[in-house]
Amino acid sequence: MSKMKLVKSTIISIFLLAMLPLPAFAYIDPGTGSYVLQIILAGILAVPFVLKRYWVKIRNIFKKSN
Amino acid sequence: MTQKNINSRIPASFRDPSGFLFCYDGKIYRQINRIYQEHYEHLMESGLYDFLVKNDLIVPHVEVDIQSEEKSKSYKTIEPEVVPFISYPYEWCFSQLKYAALVTLRIQKIALDYGMSLKDSSAYNIQFRKGKPILIDTLSFEKYREGTPWVAYKQFCQHFLGPLVLMSHTDIRLNQLLRIYIDGIPLDLASVLLPFKTRLNLSLLSHIHLHAATQKKYEDKSINSANKKISRTGLMAIIDNLESAVKKLQWKPQGTEWGEYYSDTNYTEEAVNHKKQFVIECLEIIRPKSVWDMGANTGLYSRLASDRGIPTVAFDIDSAAVEKNYLTCVQNKEQNILPLLLDLTNPSPGIGWENTERMSILQRGPADMIFALALIHHLAISNNVPLAKIAEFFSKLCNFLIVEFVPKSDSQVQRLLATREDIFSDYTQEVFEYEFKKHFAINRFVKIKGSERILYLLQRKV
Repeated sequence: MSKMKLVKSTIISIFLLAMLPLPAFAYIDPGTGSYVLQIILAGILAVPFVLKRYWVKIRNIFKKSN
Repeated sequence: MTQKNINSRIPASFRDPSGFLFCYDGKIYRQINRIYQEHYEHLMESGLYDFLVKNDLIVPHVEVDIQSEEKSKSYKTIEPEVVPFISYPYEWCFSQLKYAALVTLRIQKIALDYGMSLKDSSAYNIQFRKGKPILIDTLSFEKYREGTPWVAYKQFCQHFLGPLVLMSHTDIRLNQLLRIYIDGIPLDLASVLLPFKTRLNLSLLSHIHLHAATQKKYEDKSINSANKKISRTGLMAIIDNLESAVKKLQWKPQGTEWGEYYSDTNYTEEAVNHKKQFVIECLEIIRPKSVWDMGANTGLYSRLASDRGIPTVAFDIDSAAVEKNYLTCVQNKEQNILPLLLDLTNPSPGIGWENTERMSILQRGPADMIFALALIHHLAISNNVPLAKIAEFFSKLCNFLIVEFVPKSDSQVQRLLATREDIFSDYTQEVFEYEFKKHFAINRFVKIKGSERILYLLQRKV
């Protein structure tokens, strides 16, 4: 690797590290795997969760009118 | 008196730089460090604290002028309301751990509504106060930043979900793994111990099995998460999913050794009433400030104390008995009784850093009064503990002792001896009295009607 390339990759690494959103005051290790899983689960579970909330609201309206 | 002599840090709180607990003049205080100031102010000013206190979800506190020895970092000192007895997740029955898990998730949902999030979800931050699980760590919150995941998700799965699923689907006794793993059961271990059917449940597949797999895949790796944000809805969906997974977990006590003990004694109704009458008489004479019922089963005698407003801990070795006892407490909204799981022959030790993070049972004593009813023969005969050692043990744990001596001629003792050789020539009333009198004075005693058993009220010699 040339000197230039090394400098470039170091700058990019530092930049990427700085981009990591460190939680405001986390003192426990959230775990990279747990972070990745949350991203995946949030994607999968968000739609059914929203539908569930609407369903509960609709059901409550009917319950009240009864 | 100088502050130095009376001001000491409590070993249970040292990981979180937000603050720590310390003891001053016999009272417990929490120092809040300046580093945590903006989070504390948000907790207090957003209305979150008031809402949680109003709903019995966090211990109330008052701000005080007391200073710890480490005042250079100090922003404020608070005095939280004291919980009468500190218990640990490996001493809880299934439903106690389940309700503690649900309270943690409820608090997290409420916190998000107020722009905060739990930065830890340790089971040790929950205690039972007036019969209900409650958060005791005021510094558990951080300001929520849009797009960030739940930092305590892994901890929640290790401290609550994993142990509950293991107790429900594999074996109730696996909660004892919490005594080995102080930061919760590792998910890869939970994953291998669980039956295949748990992989067919989407929530358990995700939060336990896939969670363990992603942890392994990303071990020692970092990710560029700048473009990997989690929407608030996505975060709430995960918490909602965890909540419904926990709610669905069940454990029904059946087939365990002592679950049906009260219907399996050699006691006549007359004997039970006579025994109760003696215990009530002792409680009314001594008026103890606290009672520990050792070998409480489902709490028949514990309630003689707790119904009189005495804070009572009802210990038993059997998960089914503790579960039944706790569910009765919940059903009747009892506030003074705390059922807990404890094996007296191997009681909770001091664990964690320097063996001081979590207290042993001896460190949490002494109780003002102990009940040792229908217990001595189990310790002396089933577990070969000499009467001298039993007497010494109880003298370290209490000021007053109500103890029942069950002689060898009793059918329950005969049952214990049925499968083994009788090597207990010292197991007699004379030796019993001789050994206990080394530590205690006999205040009164009575032979229980319709049985050969003798009840004593003993008072510890100073």
